[in-house]
Amino acid sequence: MLSVQNIEKYYGNKNNVTKALNRISFDVEPGEFLAIMGASGSGKTTLLNCISTIDTISSGQILLDGINIADLSESELAKFRRERLGFVFQDFNLLDTLTIEENIGLALSLNHSDANKVQQQVQEIAQKLGIADILEKFPYQVSGGQKQRAACARAMIAGQSLLLADEPTGALDSKASKNLLEIMTAINQDLDATILMVTHDAYSASYAKRVLFLKDGKVFSKLMRGNRPRSVFYHEILDVLATLGGDISDVI
Amino acid sequence: MTLFKLSLRNAKRQASDYLIYFVTIVLAAALLYSFNGLVFSEELQTLASSMSQLPFMIWLASAVVVCVFGWLVSYSIKFMLLRRSRELGNYLLIGLENRQIARLFFLENLAVGGCALVLGILLGSLLYQAFRAIILTLFGLPYHFSFGFSFSAVGLSIIYFALIYLFALRKSRKRIRKMKIYDLIYFDKQNEGVVIQTEKKRQKIFAFSIVLGVVGTLMLITRNLLWGTIGAGCLILFLYGFFLSFASGVPAFFNRKPSRKYRGQNLLIFRTLTAKLATMGVLMATISMIFTATLISEGSGLVFKGLFQGRSMQQTCFDLYIGINDKQQDFNLYLDYINANIPMELSLLYPVYSNKNAQVMEYIDSTIVYYTYGYDKDPLMRYSDYAALREIAGYPAAELKQGQYLIHCISYLEEPLKNYTEPIIVDGKTLTLSSVHTEHFFQNYVAGNGRGYILVVPDDAINECLIHHQAYAAKTIYPVSQEQFAALNAINQSEDRVASFDIVSSKANIEAELASMTTITVFPLYYLALALTMTAATILTIQQLSESQHYRRQFQLLQKLGMDQREMRKALRTQFTIYYTMPAIPPVLIGIPFLLTLAKAPEPGVMVGANSPAAITVMALGIFFLIYAIYILMAYTSLKRNVLPETIE
Repeated sequence: MLSVQNIEKYYGNKNNVTKALNRISFDVEPGEFLAIMGASGSGKTTLLNCISTIDTISSGQILLDGINIADLSESELAKFRRERLGFVFQDFNLLDTLTIEENIGLALSLNHSDANKVQQQVQEIAQKLGIADILEKFPYQVSGGQKQRAACARAMIAGQSLLLADEPTGALDSKASKNLLEIMTAINQDLDATILMVTHDAYSASYAKRVLFLKDGKVFSKLMRGNRPRSVFYHEILDVLATLGGDISDVI
Repeated sequence: MTLFKLSLRNAKRQASDYLIYFVTIVLAAALLYSFNGLVFSEELQTLASSMSQLPFMIWLASAVVVCVFGWLVSYSIKFMLLRRSRELGNYLLIGLENRQIARLFFLENLAVGGCALVLGILLGSLLYQAFRAIILTLFGLPYHFSFGFSFSAVGLSIIYFALIYLFALRKSRKRIRKMKIYDLIYFDKQNEGVVIQTEKKRQKIFAFSIVLGVVGTLMLITRNLLWGTIGAGCLILFLYGFFLSFASGVPAFFNRKPSRKYRGQNLLIFRTLTAKLATMGVLMATISMIFTATLISEGSGLVFKGLFQGRSMQQTCFDLYIGINDKQQDFNLYLDYINANIPMELSLLYPVYSNKNAQVMEYIDSTIVYYTYGYDKDPLMRYSDYAALREIAGYPAAELKQGQYLIHCISYLEEPLKNYTEPIIVDGKTLTLSSVHTEHFFQNYVAGNGRGYILVVPDDAINECLIHHQAYAAKTIYPVSQEQFAALNAINQSEDRVASFDIVSSKANIEAELASMTTITVFPLYYLALALTMTAATILTIQQLSESQHYRRQFQLLQKLGMDQREMRKALRTQFTIYYTMPAIPPVLIGIPFLLTLAKAPEPGVMVGANSPAAITVMALGIFFLIYAIYILMAYTSLKRNVLPETIE
């Protein structure tokens, strides 16, 4: 479904070039739950921004369902984002002035969906994510975990095919994190959503089916979960992180 | 870093973050200084006797202006305090005391105010030169640029500014001393609740406020002081009731009709506007009130200007005009003085007669509103006198054949009199109408050339008609000086003439009076209007611009969620239009009927042409929206630049 081919991303001017992404290639299959790990500055957020069409790449190509996103115009990109991609951010990125229901419904509103059905659709998804009772509230009135679930609901309500999550548990406590990751797993398994999650937290990554490790803008290592239990997979991830060295060990 | 340095740094940031506020404060200082310059200018006050009232009028206006600017500064400072609550919370968090923060904030604002005052005085001295030029031009005097400071004006400006700032800063000091860390840090996350909770109450208040608005406007246009004051009170209640109930009604409306909410960009626009519901409702009402006052002062200024102009135009056709009501009095006292002191080019002493019937007057009464008091019969004039007067006034000759008469009237009466087809009868002779003339002809006094109109008939037509009064008109070689005019007036007021109510009028004197009346009424009213518009527009704008951080985050997120640039621009524009249009609607609805009736108040025939009620209303609206548009444009360009994310390459 997603094919990243030899992408490179440079920052800076002629004299001082920083390579944020260095010849990265990988594929994501439909229905997959992929985690990308790496220390701060390893290029994982840059990679996610490039895939989400918020940032541009210097060379290589990114194909989503066979479409090269570099070929799309500004307004086509906007359309592509609102129809195909769902976003979950570390700091929730809900609008303070909108209620939870409106924040979720916003995605449909932007897609010019039938306005009469918005409320019903929001209700349905909120039921699934267990936030139906807080729909009337404003973001500052609910907990971080609830906010992040609302963000998940917004990311999938318009039928987006790829959910991009940037450190979704970064601002949550361990209980809320676990809850959110279980919900994401359920979305992945029951609703067949494809998820690409960037994280530096081994515990979060252990919920994925496959983990890519980035170091200095390159793919350093890969790990498949297969049929192993999550706890085993978690330890394997920790082992890879240990070999990855550097500052990543400071953050886990 | 010392607190003082931090204050200075914050002051610099404040000036750039709230540039529009800073610019307005500078303009406020400039306005205060330049008008104080008028107060202390001896040159201007000696231009005419009535100009000595100018300082009093400006003081009166300044008192209101200082209050208005005081409110602006106080509101803006309170607003900045709230906006920066997180920053202030951090100061508290790192261990600064409330007292120290209050001092920090005081110093910061003192620096901003001081800078604004200095810049304002510099700008104000230029503005003062502009005012001086306008006033001298009004008096028909040459203007020479002469740059100079008036220390008294500087002193008074400093006093005004100190009053404005000290009031605002005292309030903010109290506020800071009571602040708590938690409130500060979590302040900007919160939305305000609906002010009027229940639907029924809201509907009642809404309906009641609309009624109050209509009643208030009707009372205002009765032109009765008591009713007008009650009307103004009703209108204030109307504005607050209307905006608060309206603002509370919007969320309720969308909650009832969720599908409307999710259509197009409604959701974003309505939520952005209602996020700070209570503040917004009060703000909109206050701004609306200020706009109403602005529109009324601007319009009144125009009405006064039009009134003075309209009244004096009639009187400036002759360099010198004297009318004696009392037929018993003789003209010799005047003529002796004139012949000895005022060199003449042309002059004429002539009688104005009364016809034996009032057929034209009755016709006028039946077709149009006009009061011909002082006459009970139609006034008449001999053609030879009329022809000579036209020459004195510098008008082209008007022909009159035997058996005909012509009418000379004010332009207000032209239409009905043109349609007057009946022949008139003078001393048994029948005359038909040949033409109607409307040049200014000194026709607005009883002792003028008829009141409103006069019938000009062939010389031999008048045989037995009585003389109504005598008049004298002249074209002088030099304009009649103030001394000469005073001497003629002294004759008029000498003891033996008290009962005669003569009219002595010189063109030079009328023009000077016009100039000084215009100056002492129009200048203070415009001063007020300008200060009010600036204040209201600034407050609207800083409120809007200070939200730009919030808007930027919102649009960045929306961009990620796939809203395209065109739609974002459209949403921003709509939001902006609603925000700036709402408070301007009630003032327009109140202002138009008020100005139309006010401009109709003077006697008929004065407010015509460019001074007609419709023209004055249009002009007042034009000036108002021009100043408003400048602020809107500044705010929009700045907002668009700051808020909309750049396009992705």
